[in-house]
Amino acid sequence: MPSAPRKEVDIVFDGTFEGFLCVVYAFYYEGITPLSIQTADALQPSLMQEEFFIVTNNDNACKVEKAIRKKISHDAYYTVAYAFLSSADDRFMCMLHYIVYGFKMGHRVDDHLHHDFILRVHKCAREVGREAHLLKGFCRFAETAQGILYCAVTPIHHVLMPLAEHFADRMMEQSWVIHDKRHNKAVVYNGESCVFVDVTPNTVPPIYAENEAQIQELWTSYFNTAAITARKNPKLHRNMLPMRFRGDMVEFGGTGRADSTIS
Amino acid sequence: MDFSQRLKTLTEGAKYDVACTSSGMNRKAKKGMVGSTEACGICHSFTADGRCISLLKMLINNYCEYDCQYCVNRRSSDIPRASMQPHEVADLTMQFYRRNYIEGLFLSSAVIKSPDYTMEMLIKTLALLRGDTYRFNGYIHVKAIPGADEALIQRLGTLADRMSINIELPSERSLTVLAPDKTKPAILAPMKYVKNKILQSKEETAKYRSAEAFVPAGQSTQLIVGATPEADSKIVHLAQGLYKGYGLRRVFYSAYIPVGNDTMLPRYESKDSYRSPTPAFDTGTGLIDKAYGPILMREHRLYQADWLLRFYGFTAGELFKTEEENLSLHLDPKCHWALRNLEQFPVEVNTADYRTLLRVPGIGQISAERIVKARRASKLDFTNLKKMGIVLKRARYFITCNGKMAEKINFRPESIELRLTDNHAVGPYSQLTLADAAYA
Ligand code: SF4
Repeated sequence: MPSAPRKEVDIVFDGTFEGFLCVVYAFYYEGITPLSIQTADALQPSLMQEEFFIVTNNDNACKVEKAIRKKISHDAYYTVAYAFLSSADDRFMCMLHYIVYGFKMGHRVDDHLHHDFILRVHKCAREVGREAHLLKGFCRFAETAQGILYCAVTPIHHVLMPLAEHFADRMMEQSWVIHDKRHNKAVVYNGESCVFVDVTPNTVPPIYAENEAQIQELWTSYFNTAAITARKNPKLHRNMLPMRFRGDMVEFGGTGRADSTIS
Repeated sequence: MDFSQRLKTLTEGAKYDVACTSSGMNRKAKKGMVGSTEACGICHSFTADGRCISLLKMLINNYCEYDCQYCVNRRSSDIPRASMQPHEVADLTMQFYRRNYIEGLFLSSAVIKSPDYTMEMLIKTLALLRGDTYRFNGYIHVKAIPGADEALIQRLGTLADRMSINIELPSERSLTVLAPDKTKPAILAPMKYVKNKILQSKEETAKYRSAEAFVPAGQSTQLIVGATPEADSKIVHLAQGLYKGYGLRRVFYSAYIPVGNDTMLPRYESKDSYRSPTPAFDTGTGLIDKAYGPILMREHRLYQADWLLRFYGFTAGELFKTEEENLSLHLDPKCHWALRNLEQFPVEVNTADYRTLLRVPGIGQISAERIVKARRASKLDFTNLKKMGIVLKRARYFITCNGKMAEKINFRPESIELRLTDNHAVGPYSQLTLADAAYA
């Protein structure tokens, strides 16, 4: 590692995972120690300090990925990649600490749970994994007049990527769209590959296929019939299916209902 | 009856079957097919009773020739009857699956005409789903009909991921009284057959990739609890026998909830009230009748005991002293066991092996794993444990960190029990929460 004087700066990067890996690269090869790390779109300009923009370079990102996989572990890489999708403000700094410490400790880094930043990275990754897993079940598609399946979600974390992987496998030959209304992003799959796009807020809801309302009706009725009245348990119900998901689920009258004109 | 009405009727008839998991099978999608399965299972929704909906759970028809007293669909029951054509079931499954409402199908049937005829209807439906028209590659759980020809079971098993044959009543005697058309051998024989077939297919698929898989997610069964007098000890021993002797993947327990009034089941008016809920719930208001708290709690405890058998290295013999014993309703089975075996505690978290940690009340698999990992890097104290997200509510009375307990306590069963139950101001039945469904 070159021993030139280190620069301490507020870092801004483009918000991609590759971009973050380049922040790690800059830490090691350009002597840049971040005071804070922010993404360009969430940038809060400060008067006191000038931001230092890290330009994303795929080769450098690749080098860092390989180094993490080899010197720490594949698990650690996976943990960092998931933590990245979290919406916790402090995630980038914790991830950097985690990686730096990981290069010192090797694959044993995950045993050092007494360090707050390691616990924190694990927790972020776990929360993302959990929300993605829940949404794999809770998200609902509706068929549009063009035969595309459309799904709206409002997740806390940026879970489009894991969801996209899941559905690209499961519904391989079907075109579908998953729309993250909270972060105004969407993933569009055309039967072959996924494209991630930005969506303007208040986009007009799609026009649904003719039989859509009828199938939603069947499902809602199935859902209500399957409950056993004598066992009714609202507290357990809320624990298992938190309220925040219900707004996008047809059986709870959520968005995406074909019989409602405006969602 | 229109389609929606028929679906309602056929859902009503299937909903008391508690199994709704889609787990035990990881199958990536195949080109040209629709769907995949995940080993950990996926819950798609939760009904108002807090149970997971993972599969479209329905009967193909509910015209039953049999008269099992505990069942809504029995011949003598006064309910609307309906049936569906195989293509209707297949079509509905696909429509729900594409919209991500479900993980797959759980299909069963009342016994219509004969067990063989019923099985053929099930086979037809599954073959249609898996065939060229629908190319369905998602999860299918099917309930086989006892007494059907083995060749039919064989065929059905190559189409399904999981198969179940419900034992329902935990003893031969109860079966004779309440399910006169069924016998224990008629239920156990196909279970044995399925077990052997699974083993055989596992060997073959290991050898030849082209070999046909036979119920790759294993077989399961259900026991009804509280309809008949068997004690928990008997039930848990039976479950253990089924896991060991029949290689079952899961045993499900279903608290008996009286359905209809014209039943010859006991009316539950004995002194032993918690085992005898008065069947007086009001379907109109939909309120949970207090009388069900105890029976649902009993079911919950059985799931916990089952969990101890499958994942925590306990045997049924350790949990019960006698055949007639029941699980404690106010303490979970692990706490109960620990208090009876207090000489094995407290356990030192910095040195105890994984298996010993697992036996500590309040420490589950994830916590035990985290402890074993974290202590390699540094010695653990109570603050570390808390930070690591380990819940100490119960564990604190059974562990030491570097030789110290969390607080000074009188280390005797009675005083620990008092502390364990003290916090439950709302009463022992209020804790039917997260954990309950996690067992399913
Ligand atoms: S055979 Fe018995 S348990 Fe099965 S549907 Fe008929 S009455 Fe119910």
